[in-house]
Amino acid sequence: MKKYIFNNSIIKSFLALSVFFLLNGCKREISGLSPVTYSTNPDVFIDGFSAGLNYGAYGGSVPSAFHVDSSITYNGSATSMRFEVPDQNDPKGAYAGGAYFTSVGRDLSGYDALTFWAKASQPATLGVVGFGNDFGASKYQVALNNLAVNFNWKKIIIPIPDPSKLNGERGMFYYSAGPENGKGYTFWIDEVKFEKLGTISNATAAILNGVDKVQSSFIGINTTIDGITTSFNLPAGVDESLSISPYYFNFTSSNPAAATVNETGIVSIVGTGSSKITAKLGNTDAKGSLTINSSGSFTAAPTPTKDAANVISLFSDAYSNAPVDYYNGYWAPYQTTLSADFEVNGDHVLNYTNFNFVGIQVSSPTIDASSMSNLHLDIYLPAALNTGATFKVQIVDFGANGAPGGSDDVSGDITFAAPVLVANNWARLDIPFSSLPTLLTRRHLGQIILVGTNISGFYADNIYFWKNPTIPETPVSAAPAPTIAAANVLSIFSDAYTNVPGTDFSPYWGQGTVSSQVPVAGNNTLKYEGLDFQGTQLASNQNVSAYGFLHVDYYTANSNSLNVFLISPGPVQTSYTLSVPTSGASSSGWSSVDIPLSAFAPVDLTNLNQMMFTGNGNIFLDNIYFHK
Amino acid sequence: MNLLFIKLSRKIFTAGSVFLLIIIFLSGCKKEAVQTLPERNWQLTWSDEFDGAAGTSPDAANWAFDIGTGQGGWGNQELEYYTNRSQNVSLDGNGNLLITARSEPYAGSSFTSGRIKTQGLFSQAYGRFEARIKTPYGPGIWPAFWMLGSNIETTPWPQCGEIDIMELRGQEPNIINGTIHGPGYSGGSSITKRYGFTDKRFDQDYHIFAVEWTSDKIDFFVDDYLYQRLTASDVPGQWVYDHPFHIILNVAVGGNYLGFPTSQTPFPQSMSIDYVRVYKAAN
Repeated sequence: MKKYIFNNSIIKSFLALSVFFLLNGCKREISGLSPVTYSTNPDVFIDGFSAGLNYGAYGGSVPSAFHVDSSITYNGSATSMRFEVPDQNDPKGAYAGGAYFTSVGRDLSGYDALTFWAKASQPATLGVVGFGNDFGASKYQVALNNLAVNFNWKKIIIPIPDPSKLNGERGMFYYSAGPENGKGYTFWIDEVKFEKLGTISNATAAILNGVDKVQSSFIGINTTIDGITTSFNLPAGVDESLSISPYYFNFTSSNPAAATVNETGIVSIVGTGSSKITAKLGNTDAKGSLTINSSGSFTAAPTPTKDAANVISLFSDAYSNAPVDYYNGYWAPYQTTLSADFEVNGDHVLNYTNFNFVGIQVSSPTIDASSMSNLHLDIYLPAALNTGATFKVQIVDFGANGAPGGSDDVSGDITFAAPVLVANNWARLDIPFSSLPTLLTRRHLGQIILVGTNISGFYADNIYFWKNPTIPETPVSAAPAPTIAAANVLSIFSDAYTNVPGTDFSPYWGQGTVSSQVPVAGNNTLKYEGLDFQGTQLASNQNVSAYGFLHVDYYTANSNSLNVFLISPGPVQTSYTLSVPTSGASSSGWSSVDIPLSAFAPVDLTNLNQMMFTGNGNIFLDNIYFHK
Repeated sequence: MNLLFIKLSRKIFTAGSVFLLIIIFLSGCKKEAVQTLPERNWQLTWSDEFDGAAGTSPDAANWAFDIGTGQGGWGNQELEYYTNRSQNVSLDGNGNLLITARSEPYAGSSFTSGRIKTQGLFSQAYGRFEARIKTPYGPGIWPAFWMLGSNIETTPWPQCGEIDIMELRGQEPNIINGTIHGPGYSGGSSITKRYGFTDKRFDQDYHIFAVEWTSDKIDFFVDDYLYQRLTASDVPGQWVYDHPFHIILNVAVGGNYLGFPTSQTPFPQSMSIDYVRVYKAAN
């Protein structure tokens, strides 16, 4: 059997150890080799203010709440601190609160806790006590919230989260306490000092509430690490939670080329790639982390061009937004959707993650969109499009009661799928109210509910209701002047070019349309009044196969259907639909279109003999030409 | 560190160490008192180093489990249900045994934990019994490294004798007790002594808890510091420490000894045991 020889005498090495202690362990205190920059005075208030201590009351508090008391003191000492919490509605102030601070910092790095004794005239809960509030930056503030006190003296211990940070601390102690059930009371605090206890243990720390979070992101986005929690096991074996400044943490980025993090926990995405942000509190690893997956530069949603006068915006940097209750209602119990909204170079973007559905609410007040024609929203799916992915937009009107519920709510919805939905790009969803027949009124719109299938998350921007501006039935200004060189143009109808000769713009094919040519701001313009259809007969067949596009300028305040046809003998004809009315197209109301000639297949482009417009309303046309 | 309680039947300081202690005291550094004890050679007779894969049970050749709630919470109104599950008793893979108290409903109890013993597998009279332990903490948490007379089946407690090498009340994680229970001096009237630190705790690092037991005395040690010597003249009843005892390791939750856990007691709580070693005096 292996023999263990045990020797329980430990004296032999003691002499050597002691000498070591003398020369090293005590070096600083004996020789004074380390220059003392700041006082290490641990006392805050023992029997009066310690050296250099000042007091200031917080704004809105009773300025005279604090007194030095010589009658009720801890352990019969000379004086204590007395605090008089006011009744509710006390004209002098709403609460008792203030901070004790020094003008010159103290080195508290050799201590591990602020301790004091407290009692009160009745059982009460002090809102907050702590240290690190210096009426300035208060960089290293620590708060013990909701401290229960009673008529017995009780020792309170507030651990210093990381003493090594407190090399020049000015905030010695602070407090804030309000009435209990509307009534004031008195509490006392005594023997306030920093101590080295050694019996505070098992610190825990967390960022992001201890969750390991993964976030897609882009260059230019800043994200703040929040959800900071800490606890310390006190000498009595119980855990005490503290609210502490992020400055106590040391944050680290695993890949500073992708993301950096500053001392307050603000993460800046600076490049492409992945970076994990972690934190330590002293030697304790904080639970929780933030993994940033940066895909580089962000593609902003297209900037809206509609005139603000014709828009009611809920979320856009291009407009003033109406008051919105929330962009994510966190509707329990079934909603899973979380929000991680971000800002890139001043552009705010809604970011919904873990998406199943989410509600945006506007109830104070609801929105009267009765004069609006459409809801617009831009959405960006930052992942590959899953099979069966759909995105439903539901618009809810709260009815006359202006609140959800009751029997007066109505809603309408529309569902989008590929190819409208696209991966890694913005999809611009424009929903005409005319496509939502069950939305019987839109005078009290209260909610937009977004519901996804097989979509894990999306960004959203530019959510607004809009209408086209009102334009006169007859244009005030001329169509935009063409800019294409005449050498590249075969013109049918334009003042800017030499037109092919002999074209008949009003052949009678049995139409009801009244065709005429009218001057608009001195510019000859083709007018079709009461359009059903209207043909154009070319004097000779034209070969346009060398050209790429058909250009048309058109204007209509009242049409909701307009198509243009090219025709070759046979007849072989193909139509192209133009967007009408043109009220929103430009400030002048003129709309310009360049239609690729391939859109007219199978028309024989070498042998055009006619054109035709069909639709309704009153139409003005100009600058009809083929160009390269 | 400072000692809370120093009672030594024999304190021997060398002149040199006294001088140095004064210097150190004046300069503000603190060094624990130093004792010189006669050298003694011990020969290992039994040990468990708790080497093994993480999650596995301690060696069944060395340890048996106590299961359940015993009689009246193991005689102390304890709240835990002892199991042999790895959640409560298992090796950590780094050479330690973890006995873990958990707050979880189990078989009618609100807490689970573990209690293992060498009863029927190993017992010894006299020698040095030591374990290197990092304790759990928190109100109502009661870790212990202790021994019972192995004749307990025929000679009921307290006549069989009990030697508590280390017990800790989790609300005082800086203090342990060393105790003996015998006929006429058991339970609340047992012979006990506290040993502790003012500036650190037993849950922060491992410490070595030991007794050195001969026919006429039991010496109690923490980190080889003798803080209590008990002899027949110290007990008001019979000195019953003359037969083999077996070893018990457990973490109780609540009970008469220390009160009950509070909502602020952190769970789970583990006692981590690096080793248990037993020696006899070498010739």
